[in-house]
Amino acid sequence: MDTSEAHAILESGASGWEKRKRKFLPYAYLSPTLALLSALTIIPIATVFLYSLVDNVIVNPNPPVFVGLDNYEEVLTNRKFRGALGNTVYFALVSVIAHFIIGLSFALLLNTRLIGNKTKALFRVIYILPWVFTASIIAILWRLLMNPHGVINFVLLELGFVQEKMEWLSDRDLALNAVTFINIWAGYPFYMVSFLAGLQGIPDDLYEAGRVDGGNSWQLFRFITLPQLRPIIVSLALLDFIWTVHQFTLVWMTTGGGPMRSTEVLSTYTYKAAFSSHEYSIASTLAMIILAICTFIGIFYVRNQRMADE
Amino acid sequence: MVGSRAQIRRAKILTWIALLLGACFAGLPVLWMVASSFKSNLEIFAYPPALIDHSFSFSAYLAVLGDPGQLRFFFNSYLVAILVTICTVVTSILAGYSFSRYDFRFKRFLTLIIIGVQSVPPITLMIPYFGLIVWLGLYNSYTALVLTYMVFTLSYAIIMMTGYFNTLPRDLDEAVMIDGGGSFVTLWRILVPISLPGIVSVGVYTFMLAWNEFLFALTLTRTNDMRTVPIGIHLLMGQHSFEWNQMLALSVLGSLPVLILFLLFQRYFIAGMSAGSIKG
Amino acid sequence: MKRYLIVLLMILLLMAGGAASAQDVTLEFQQWWEPELPEGSFRAILDDFEAANPGIKVETISGPYLTTKDQIIASAATGTMADVVGLDGAWVNVLWKQGALASLTQAMMDVDYDDSELAAQIRLAGETYMIPIANFIYPVFVNLDLLEAAGIDPPTTRAEFAAAAMALTDPDNNVYGWAQPLSLEQPNGIQNDTMSWLWASGGSMLDDMGQPHLIGNEALAETLEFIKSLHDAGVVAPGSFAMKENEKVEEFVNERVAMIVNTLAHFTLIRERNPDLNFDITALPAAEGYDGPRGLPYASWGIGISAHTEHKAEAWKLIDYLTSVEGNTKLTSIANAFPGNVNATPDFIQTDPLFMTAFEIFQEGYLANEFTGLPAAEELMRQMAEPFQFYLEGDIELDELLEYAQEEWENIFE
Repeated sequence: MDTSEAHAILESGASGWEKRKRKFLPYAYLSPTLALLSALTIIPIATVFLYSLVDNVIVNPNPPVFVGLDNYEEVLTNRKFRGALGNTVYFALVSVIAHFIIGLSFALLLNTRLIGNKTKALFRVIYILPWVFTASIIAILWRLLMNPHGVINFVLLELGFVQEKMEWLSDRDLALNAVTFINIWAGYPFYMVSFLAGLQGIPDDLYEAGRVDGGNSWQLFRFITLPQLRPIIVSLALLDFIWTVHQFTLVWMTTGGGPMRSTEVLSTYTYKAAFSSHEYSIASTLAMIILAICTFIGIFYVRNQRMADE
Repeated sequence: MVGSRAQIRRAKILTWIALLLGACFAGLPVLWMVASSFKSNLEIFAYPPALIDHSFSFSAYLAVLGDPGQLRFFFNSYLVAILVTICTVVTSILAGYSFSRYDFRFKRFLTLIIIGVQSVPPITLMIPYFGLIVWLGLYNSYTALVLTYMVFTLSYAIIMMTGYFNTLPRDLDEAVMIDGGGSFVTLWRILVPISLPGIVSVGVYTFMLAWNEFLFALTLTRTNDMRTVPIGIHLLMGQHSFEWNQMLALSVLGSLPVLILFLLFQRYFIAGMSAGSIKG
Repeated sequence: MKRYLIVLLMILLLMAGGAASAQDVTLEFQQWWEPELPEGSFRAILDDFEAANPGIKVETISGPYLTTKDQIIASAATGTMADVVGLDGAWVNVLWKQGALASLTQAMMDVDYDDSELAAQIRLAGETYMIPIANFIYPVFVNLDLLEAAGIDPPTTRAEFAAAAMALTDPDNNVYGWAQPLSLEQPNGIQNDTMSWLWASGGSMLDDMGQPHLIGNEALAETLEFIKSLHDAGVVAPGSFAMKENEKVEEFVNERVAMIVNTLAHFTLIRERNPDLNFDITALPAAEGYDGPRGLPYASWGIGISAHTEHKAEAWKLIDYLTSVEGNTKLTSIANAFPGNVNATPDFIQTDPLFMTAFEIFQEGYLANEFTGLPAAEELMRQMAEPFQFYLEGDIELDELLEYAQEEWENIFE
């Protein structure tokens, strides 16, 4: 995509006013976003940041005391925090990868020309099903399914895959994977729909050219589909990572972080700090740490964007 | 792909198998949910489980539909979700265009900010955010919900829109610019029509989030006439016991219109529908 | 934008006009009870109150139980708290610390109230902040058909209970003797299904100063060992570590669990769910050789006043009504609860034989829920539930469990 020529034409023809307009325009397009975000997020985020530097906030009769980074030290040296961090990384990475694979596979399946459009329409609706339910209902549904006397155990026992009733959500060796599985189930349609949209943007002539050059399906996928989808893949992975790190309801309502902390993730840990121990300073500190982690991932995204621009 | 008939046949069969397996993965849990919504609360926990049993009845649905309060929740959910979707889509198209097509001084910084505001766990933001909404006089209003969900969805929407615009060749819009079209005209006349699939997917995402959000919907509203379906579902979770079948019935009912909407919009995901303009 | 501003202006004007024209005092009453009770029945009681107190209107703000505490904390922090709030004993302390609750002692003094009819008052630093107006005790529910088939009577001691649980358990037919919900999401299984055993034998988890007393607490150690022996024997229904109270009762009505420690609030629900279920209730079994009065775990619907209300006198009138013989009888009759007013008699106590049994258990024992009023009570339960799971799993010894929990609890007590 060589655009330098166009740039050259634009810039040579632009008067001083035009140049200023070009400088000002991107901000104009962003202004509604910036106005809304600054009006509604600056104060709350700044408040949370302040909370993380003081003690005795919200539910404490004593006046707040400035403690600097003490809260950060307390959190970062806590064994439970590190356990939750490890679980979160596992939960988020496995979810993101599985979401990507399932989402892309389903999108490709639904994009095939081998199947009639009406059939595809039906499957599209079936595949999007997990997405239309609120997280608490998904949690309740899977608790029913994964109950020791639930239908999953019944089917597995009948088919002889397992010999005893599995305690999917209450056995510490199974619970984290069970919760991750539920999250994968609940989240892949977001990828699928995004990829379906992305696939429509790939010009057909690219594939035709590829076929003329003798490429097989795998090569077409590897050298045309994937690179063309790259901007979307990167955006999705970033968003999904943040989304999964924040995933609270699903984990909380299925296991509550148990058994034996095996599914404790940062979001449940933060919730407990805020609304169970009532240590809002600690909860705010955790929020800032999560913010730092997500922003760090965001930096990679920005770098990637810049590379895409060049 | 040049292949013999046998090869195409084999590909077709494999595709069908894959499609059906995928449908089981996605659909069986939901099928169980639908089946359970017709059972009595006793039979939902019966072992061995059955898809349909003697307790089959529409009573849960009648209970939900006969409750004017629940119908109000539906109305609110639609109103809020539709408003949020429109506002977010328009705002994110503008912002995504800016990020995708312009180079400017604070671009990276602003991108990071937009990611950053999304990165604070909503639970910790709840109390200060709630305070701000009260201070602004928006407590217990549709405006509060719409603006809040816009804050939630904008980051996602902008990043996705930027991604979609980035997949489109720049020659397209720059050709129009050279012909004397302003940037706004370019965006509206050229990029938006081509990007309809992307816009629809962002819209679907936004709608789902606004439709399904619980915590802020509960916190920022006070009276039941402002509340949404997820709160209706939670109200069936009692202190000591749940109305399982009604919760499930309410969710099924809530999902139906969303699925119909998706069915209407899905033509944007059909191969070749919109790619024509790019090929040209 | 302009149109939006005009609309906003109009809304503001309307709101101002509405406020100015209102002569009545409107009390906001936040609670989770309305959705729990039969449709319209709670409103009817409030209508009676309004009829008896012209000039006061009550507007209910109802939400799900599980989020009510968080919502009250958030509303107190932002100055939007309702005038009157429904309270759970586990929340009082944190709301009091937050400065969200008004002293009811003060309110009573203002009107020279005679508190002799109140069954209980929850006091912090010497003043009352919550009055329980409806109490739900936790006896043991037994499935009589299963017991009769095994030829046993309802157990009265721990040894009998263990023996019965053993006899009743039949994993091949998916029947278990007991169920113990120990979910970490709702750790109230520690209160209702664990510590209740201690209280039923006259034990305590606190010392005379009201401080945690876990290490060296013989009665507690025996209780926890007893529960572990049940788990080790395989008589506890599977899924315990993720089970919640509402699932425990579903297991019971499906006749997969023969005995549960359970709230009387489930009474009508069990009958509705499974009309054929032949069940009875009995007091929680006590330790061998204990014949003193049995502590009865209970949950209550408590009531309190916001510290920020402008209508304290009117708010007290509402509480006065709901704790009066008339109001309390009405409320506890629809809630199937034991009254908060000692002279109130809900109708079901006279009409339902099972409730009569329950009332006898209630009168022979005493209400015991040591978590009521403790700081961060839910967190205390959770900090017990976590190591308790490790202990049941065999990862740690009892001493380690008690040491760990003692330390965590002391941190919370400060």
